[in-house]
Amino acid sequence: MVQTRRDFLKRTAALSAASYLGMILPFNNAGNALAADDTEWHRGSCRLCGTGCRLELGVKNGLPTALRGVPQSRTNMGFLCMKGMLFWKVMNHADRLTTPLYRAKKSDKFKKISWDEAMNIAADKFAGAVKEHGPNSVAYYGSGQALTEETYLFQKIFRGGLQTNNVEGNPRLCMASAVGGYMTSFGADEPIGGYADIEKADCIFIIGSNMAEAHPVVFRRVMRRKLDNPKVTVINADPRISLTSRIADIHLQFNPGTDLAMLNALAYVIIEEKLYNEQFIKDYVTFKKDKEVSIDFEEYKKSLADYTPEKAATIMGGKVTADQIREVARKIATSEGTLSVWTMGLNQRKQGVWANNLVHNLHILTGQLLKEGADSLSLTGQPNACGGVREGGGLCHILPGHRPVEQEAMRNQVEEAWGIPKGRIPAEPGLHTMAMFSAVNEGKIKAMWINCTSPVQSLPNCNKYNIGLAKDDTFIVCTDIFPTLTTELAANLVLPTAFHFEKTGVYGCTERRSQITRKAINPPKGARPEVEIVRDWAALLAKKLNDPIIIQCIKPFAGLESEYALPKAIWEEYTQKMTKGRDNDLSGAPYEVLEGMYDGVQWPAPTTEYAKTGGTVKKFVRGMDPLAEKLKTDDKPYQFYGAAHPDHKLWVWIRPQANPEEIPDADYPFYLSTGRIIDHWHTMSITGRIPELLRANPYAYIEINPKDATRLGIKPGDMVEITSRRGTNIMPAKVYEGPIEGMVFAYWHDQHPDRMINKVTIDAIDPGSKQPEFKICACKIKRVSGPQALKPYVV
Amino acid sequence: MKRREFLKKAGATIGVITALPEITCGKGLLTSPVTTNRLRPPGAVPEEIFAGKCIRCGRCVEVCPYRSIRLLDIRSGIFTGTPIIAAEAIPCYLCMKCVLICPTGTLRKISQEQTRMGLAVVNRHRCYTWQGSIICRTCFDVCPYKGRAIILDELRPIVVNDHCTGCGICTHACPVTAEDGSKAINIEPIYAQETVLWK
Repeated sequence: MVQTRRDFLKRTAALSAASYLGMILPFNNAGNALAADDTEWHRGSCRLCGTGCRLELGVKNGLPTALRGVPQSRTNMGFLCMKGMLFWKVMNHADRLTTPLYRAKKSDKFKKISWDEAMNIAADKFAGAVKEHGPNSVAYYGSGQALTEETYLFQKIFRGGLQTNNVEGNPRLCMASAVGGYMTSFGADEPIGGYADIEKADCIFIIGSNMAEAHPVVFRRVMRRKLDNPKVTVINADPRISLTSRIADIHLQFNPGTDLAMLNALAYVIIEEKLYNEQFIKDYVTFKKDKEVSIDFEEYKKSLADYTPEKAATIMGGKVTADQIREVARKIATSEGTLSVWTMGLNQRKQGVWANNLVHNLHILTGQLLKEGADSLSLTGQPNACGGVREGGGLCHILPGHRPVEQEAMRNQVEEAWGIPKGRIPAEPGLHTMAMFSAVNEGKIKAMWINCTSPVQSLPNCNKYNIGLAKDDTFIVCTDIFPTLTTELAANLVLPTAFHFEKTGVYGCTERRSQITRKAINPPKGARPEVEIVRDWAALLAKKLNDPIIIQCIKPFAGLESEYALPKAIWEEYTQKMTKGRDNDLSGAPYEVLEGMYDGVQWPAPTTEYAKTGGTVKKFVRGMDPLAEKLKTDDKPYQFYGAAHPDHKLWVWIRPQANPEEIPDADYPFYLSTGRIIDHWHTMSITGRIPELLRANPYAYIEINPKDATRLGIKPGDMVEITSRRGTNIMPAKVYEGPIEGMVFAYWHDQHPDRMINKVTIDAIDPGSKQPEFKICACKIKRVSGPQALKPYVV
Repeated sequence: MKRREFLKKAGATIGVITALPEITCGKGLLTSPVTTNRLRPPGAVPEEIFAGKCIRCGRCVEVCPYRSIRLLDIRSGIFTGTPIIAAEAIPCYLCMKCVLICPTGTLRKISQEQTRMGLAVVNRHRCYTWQGSIICRTCFDVCPYKGRAIILDELRPIVVNDHCTGCGICTHACPVTAEDGSKAINIEPIYAQETVLWK
């Protein structure tokens, strides 16, 4: 505030007089701008889990200063967790990568090089690999945190340009089984309802999800529902008593891997006590033994004969009683609306798809679907696993718009839309994640692009795959904002990219909702948005391979500035050409519509007017889903138009109990399970650089049941060695009445080589979804020393 | 010396002493260093007799695996050489090694549950969760007596004094740091002020 002497004297005199008389003068602080006053707030999405919280980034003088929730948003209603509130702090972190780094050999040190050199090297290596070893010698490994535009453009160049389906992403490690479950049970991927069901649900069945840690903002909605309506029943089924169990009325604690028996037993009770919805089954359900063989209700009933609650209770380890199973089954069947929620506890399993099917079975049998408050809802782990990767064609077997690669008609649609010759996209699906990294081990992949993820830390049994990643056989390009274990161990070329809010793009969260984040600040000098990097790289590739079709792939995007026009053009192409007419129709949701909304649009949203209302809350319901009306085959209120089920019915599957790959034995007597913790995100490259978050959880620990700890002489804080057939970790013990006896639990974020739990986990995969079994393996534990002062470790 | 001269000099000396920085003046030399987030190790006798009982052997400092316990230096006057824990820097992880090693009983041989180094107090005007729409429950998560010493009421942390040991792990982890270095949850050493009955 500038004040002249005269002003000052005047005010002083006036104030003295006023105070003498006991008056209050109408002076205000208008001249004294408060710190917050000139802060601009830019709306976007949070990038640190699949909830899809809407938030605003506060920007002052071009620098980020704060994050706050958007109260009008239908996903988070203004609430944020600590990660979401604090991630602005890494935007200007000193560790940000700002120049391309290159090393010819992985044992060398990185050298700083210019962008031109970097792009040339990347194009050279990929072109060389394709020329010498064929298109399948190159691969893309992306992320559920990449924007939809990025995933879409990458897969377009790899499929259409380089002619390989080796397009994968870390969502293979997190929700491939959920995709398998939805496709086989409902005929179409992604949930029927969404978060809105939480506020209508009467019974909430949480299985294999510690949503209090992994999805705290969704958990708040569940908690609110329970507190406002004490009659609402919350059931938690988990081998570990977690924070989520705190609000549960019933907690079913079972030995890891026996939940298939439990879910079958629930179905047994539902049928035995005639709690199923006969009309619903008659109208909408087919029973399946396998894909080709349909069976009748009686045969399905017979298949469950083995799963009496008594037997199931025994299989589950004896902590759950048969009566509890009966009670849960009755609740699920008879409540006004039952909502099931699960995450990795079901997905990251060798029987992941089966476990998903069994949950869907309960909903289909009881008709707890499609009505208010009833749904079978798989929560996604990453912010854009649904939107970008599942819908955008980011996995080796699917093209954009939920199109299976193997179907020629689908490939042709895509080729036509891209204006490239028919037959350009290969018919064979590419390598799935674990096969891709096995191929790296064998030296079959010559050039690989890893975008926005750190497989060196996040792959199960990572010791095995890191051998291949560290070899010079595979040239690896990493695009990231920070150094990670992957850039350190595996990368030949590191390209610095723009962070969230430094570029424009769309994220699609759990409930089919696509939400835009517009650029709010400039990336650090030298970092570039991925879409621009890929486009320019593709142009160079076209030159080096002398292939005009690669140019055709990027033709619609040539010359556009990368801040807004380029992602907009990509989104336009994706929604108008790829999703139009598909079940994830987003053609009514161009940038203009998304920008006008506090949250976003739930597909299908074929028209702009409809999209502006928020889109489809419930799929398959006539009157709520425009596609159900359009694609109806009869007069019934529900229309299951999913392409995977030609009979337009829901399928109930026979899925017997099956053991995980490894069960404890005399040598390795413990189950090991891994998971998340509220304050950290994945490989910690972001949250590890936020002091507040790191201080709360500086390093990983192993949770041990007090009974086991007493038996093994382990005290709280003691250093414990965890060994499996694959690797070893040493970390402090947390003796805690959490995991069931005979089970230990660790979170997987820690980057320190001693505490990287994925060295211990198993790489067995689900035969259907190819998702690895992170959640269950056998290990042994041993006390090595008393407490030690440890230091947090971030690359 | 003349009376007048003496008074002059005495006056000047007092003036100089009072003008010195606080630490070296009389108040600091005799006042206990135990205040908010500055705690004695587990089992400590009341502050009234602590300085008299502790022989400044430093064994508790040596044995502490986390380096939570530090010795006070000369600026602390008569408390020099006694152990202190700065909760927001390195809290006590309740390994209870110091109470076993203390040769004088200044740290009494108590169990982990009996430890009362202080009481955690949530500053509801500063705590993110109490203030509004941020879901933080860091203090609850890190509390060694989670669910007993700190409970959640609709996600908001509440301290239960029957179980809080005052270890300061919550203070250390709290993401809110005020300008004066204090947190949204601080440890008040309320038990250190107990009076001792002299018999």
